[in-house]
Amino acid sequence: MNKQEFINELRIGLTGLPGSDVEERVGFYSEMIDDRIEEGLSEEAATAEIGPVDKIVKQVLAETPLPKIIKECVTPKRGLKAWEIILLVLGFPLWFPLLIVAISVVFVIYVSIWAVIISLWAVFISLVAGAAAGVVGFVIFLVMGMPANAFAMLGAGVMLAGLSILMFFVCKAASKGAVVLGKKIWLGIKSMFVRK
Amino acid sequence: MDIQLKRGLLDVCVLAAIKSEDSYGYKIIKDLKPYTELSESTLYTILKRLETANMLTVWSAEHDGRLRKYYRITPGGMHRIDEFKDDWKEIEKIYQFVTREEHVNE
Repeated sequence: MNKQEFINELRIGLTGLPGSDVEERVGFYSEMIDDRIEEGLSEEAATAEIGPVDKIVKQVLAETPLPKIIKECVTPKRGLKAWEIILLVLGFPLWFPLLIVAISVVFVIYVSIWAVIISLWAVFISLVAGAAAGVVGFVIFLVMGMPANAFAMLGAGVMLAGLSILMFFVCKAASKGAVVLGKKIWLGIKSMFVRK
Repeated sequence: MDIQLKRGLLDVCVLAAIKSEDSYGYKIIKDLKPYTELSESTLYTILKRLETANMLTVWSAEHDGRLRKYYRITPGGMHRIDEFKDDWKEIEKIYQFVTREEHVNE
């Protein structure tokens, strides 16, 4: 790869970044290549020493804060033309509700996930309450002199307690999963801005 | 080496490379080569960080028909090197303690 190819590839790789940042980095690498050539290296050897462009691009993107990337992504590269502004204004009744719908859909999906989690925990709490009620029922029936009923209650209580322990692990796993899923959704939204 | 520790060390290394005279990117990398491996992208990030922190200033000069950027250390940068030296005395004390423990165990 010669110097020009290296610089072009770097420029393409850094497309999502602010223009001044790209120029500064391109200038930096260009100087690095020139200094190596001055030492007697060929263009190919100089670019090879600096490393693969995609590795550089990856490191640059990792170091650039996301707000900067989003800002660059949503800022128009040139002034809006008159007809574009008119279209934006006239289209407002169309694009604004669509935007709201898009945000709402993401929000609803997120809320629904947590609604399921909350219901699971609710089942867990009822199972615990049922187990406690079984013990209370056992004592009451015993005091009332009805041992058969008392032991039936105790049995039910123990069964519910067992189920509640199982349910606890289910709830814990589901909550963990929901957090991971939530993070994935968030990351997905972010990458929509970064995608070139 | 621990990433955080290395990051701090590299900052000081770059400052030390421009301490006695102004230097440019490729020379900094060459000067540091016997001591630590430093990639171009890492150097760029460090130089930017040090410039933002007012530890160095950048100036350009024509060289062989092209512009080359030179980096000059500021009093802030000098101070950082002194700080590092003081820190190092403390680290050395801790090192002594750690290795002394090892000797006790042996």
